Amino acid sequence: MKSISFFFLLVTAVVNAQNKTVKAGEVFNYNVSYRMSGIMNDIARVTMETSEVKTKKSTLLRLKCTAATFSKWDNYFKIRDLYESYVNPTTLTPYLYKREINEGGHYKFVKYNYNYKTKTVKSLIRKKSKNFESGFWDRNKTINFNTGTRDIVATLYKLRSLDIHKAPIGASDSFMVLFDNKETKISFKLLGKETINTAIGKKECYKLAITMANSNVLKGKNSNLIWLTADENKIPVYAKFKIAIGSGELKIQSVKN
Amino acid sequence: MRKLYSILGVSFAVIAVLLAVLPLSNLAFIPAIIAFIFGILAFLRTNKEKKGKHIIQLTFLLVIIALSFATYKSIYAKTEVGNTEQLEKLEKASEEKAIEELEDIEIEE
Repeated sequence: MKSISFFFLLVTAVVNAQNKTVKAGEVFNYNVSYRMSGIMNDIARVTMETSEVKTKKSTLLRLKCTAATFSKWDNYFKIRDLYESYVNPTTLTPYLYKREINEGGHYKFVKYNYNYKTKTVKSLIRKKSKNFESGFWDRNKTINFNTGTRDIVATLYKLRSLDIHKAPIGASDSFMVLFDNKETKISFKLLGKETINTAIGKKECYKLAITMANSNVLKGKNSNLIWLTADENKIPVYAKFKIAIGSGELKIQSVKN
Repeated sequence: MRKLYSILGVSFAVIAVLLAVLPLSNLAFIPAIIAFIFGILAFLRTNKEKKGKHIIQLTFLLVIIALSFATYKSIYAKTEVGNTEQLEKLEKASEEKAIEELEDIEIEE
């Protein structure tokens, strides 16, 4: 009974949650390290940035994530990735999502235009191809989606807007994430509070475990973790990941908010 | 056995030097230590058998070069992001296109 009432509490919280955490003007910088033969190597810088975007009829919040390899790796495997989500500043509901990746010569562009009236997403996936005059191969598709489905960027920010302080240890919450035209269920489980040392000081954090349903992208049990500061900003300061090709971590370097 | 230790020693020393030069310099410490151990073993055998020590000297020289390079890089090499000019241009262009696309969107409060 307790778990059912908690579930309802969570569902209502997710559906009606008003964002009071994510504001325009935030800049978070991270160093990404990858474990090679047991030794961590800094490979890239990830930046998460928010800004206000004004259109004729509304004001949206632009959530932008960029990834760029450090210069020493550029000659071997150059990464220049851009992830964006244009969301409602109050509910963090996405209206447009764009992902443009350039990874060691591999190029891919993904765009989702959300239509909440028809509950569909107009998707465009673009890849490089020699078979077409333009040099690109476009695949357009219309996908039906469930209420609450978000892209990966909007989900990351949505996680920050949740009232984690109200959740008991062991509580979990799930989000439907649209990635590569597929809806995947991603769950976050609150493992507890932990105080960790970071580049921005000693921080008390919420430690959350991430799992993906019906997917083998993330490996290990409680091996994919994220630490959010246990304050009103809920800044992701540290993350650990374990995937098929290895493991690594993201460490915060600087914060501007 | 002396020959085997010498070959393994010099091989690991070469790997250590190569890794020390590449961005993977942190990984150079492992083969350098292995090369050093094989070098010592080969040196002890050579002393017993009273044979030439040139290959062992080469092993130690390579180990010193690899360790010096890797240590220098781990202390002084800056982790800086490369040229992101194109990415910055892409970010701007992408925002402009997005504003055009979202022009008629009315958000629900």
